[in-house]
Amino acid sequence: MSHLFPSDAWASAYQTAVNQNPQYKSAGKDWTHGKVALVVKADASISIDQDMAVLLDVNAGTCNSATYTSGEQARTSAAFAVEGPYDNWKRLILENEDPIKSLMQGKLKLTKGHLPTLIRYVESSKQLLASAQNVATQFRR
Amino acid sequence: MAMLEYAPRVDMDASTEQNGLAQMVGGLILQNLQEHPHKREDFARLRGRVAIVAEDAGVAMTLAFQGNMVTVSDGIVGVPEVTVRARSEDIVQLSLLELIPRVGLPNPMGEATRAIFAKSQAGHVRVYGALLHIPLLLRLTRLLSVN
Repeated sequence: MSHLFPSDAWASAYQTAVNQNPQYKSAGKDWTHGKVALVVKADASISIDQDMAVLLDVNAGTCNSATYTSGEQARTSAAFAVEGPYDNWKRLILENEDPIKSLMQGKLKLTKGHLPTLIRYVESSKQLLASAQNVATQFRR
Repeated sequence: MAMLEYAPRVDMDASTEQNGLAQMVGGLILQNLQEHPHKREDFARLRGRVAIVAEDAGVAMTLAFQGNMVTVSDGIVGVPEVTVRARSEDIVQLSLLELIPRVGLPNPMGEATRAIFAKSQAGHVRVYGALLHIPLLLRLTRLLSVN
């Protein structure tokens, strides 16, 4: 069964996928720097009327929760926020595009968080997003 | 004795707004200068242009150092003294190079340093102008290092 991206169900399945990814477990084992928000920018054409996010409570290689919430709420709660338009997230999930490459191209933006820390955990970030490939995803377009 | 103190300055050219590579490198320089005051000495001595090209991402940027000041621009601007061409992930790895304490040179025993050296030998990381501008490259390495 596939889950609509983004949604509560998708966030829940994503948490499972992250925790089932042994490469994330290993690469993220030293991550103790707080929650990460993946923010999808508002897009009325696909019924996302405000910025929405999946807020990941990740710590020491484990995803303790993944919550579907508003972008505003997620930005407040997270130590790191990565934002981008829907189609760029879709491409990242479908094609397993390198998130660092997407950041360099400006397709995604780090809008909150300590860049040197993120750089130290670049493999962890890649594995976190690569886990999304294992979620059966239904896209809004 | 009177002293004058100049604050380090990182100018992001308006052209960099959509250039994520430039935003990252400019942001990294700024954060490193704020958090590690000892890097200011290297920053103050840096002069010259350095271009960085993320080949897989199709993005380029230029750092124009003018002594205690850098202008970050989109694309390759002017004639750079040093040009770094590599994949996105290798450019990030350049800021992970392990440095020898006090000496400030890349530690050849470090994991990231060895990986970059191997990629350099294989032609995946290419640094043009390095041999003619070693001090510039070493200062830049220390400035960008997150270690």
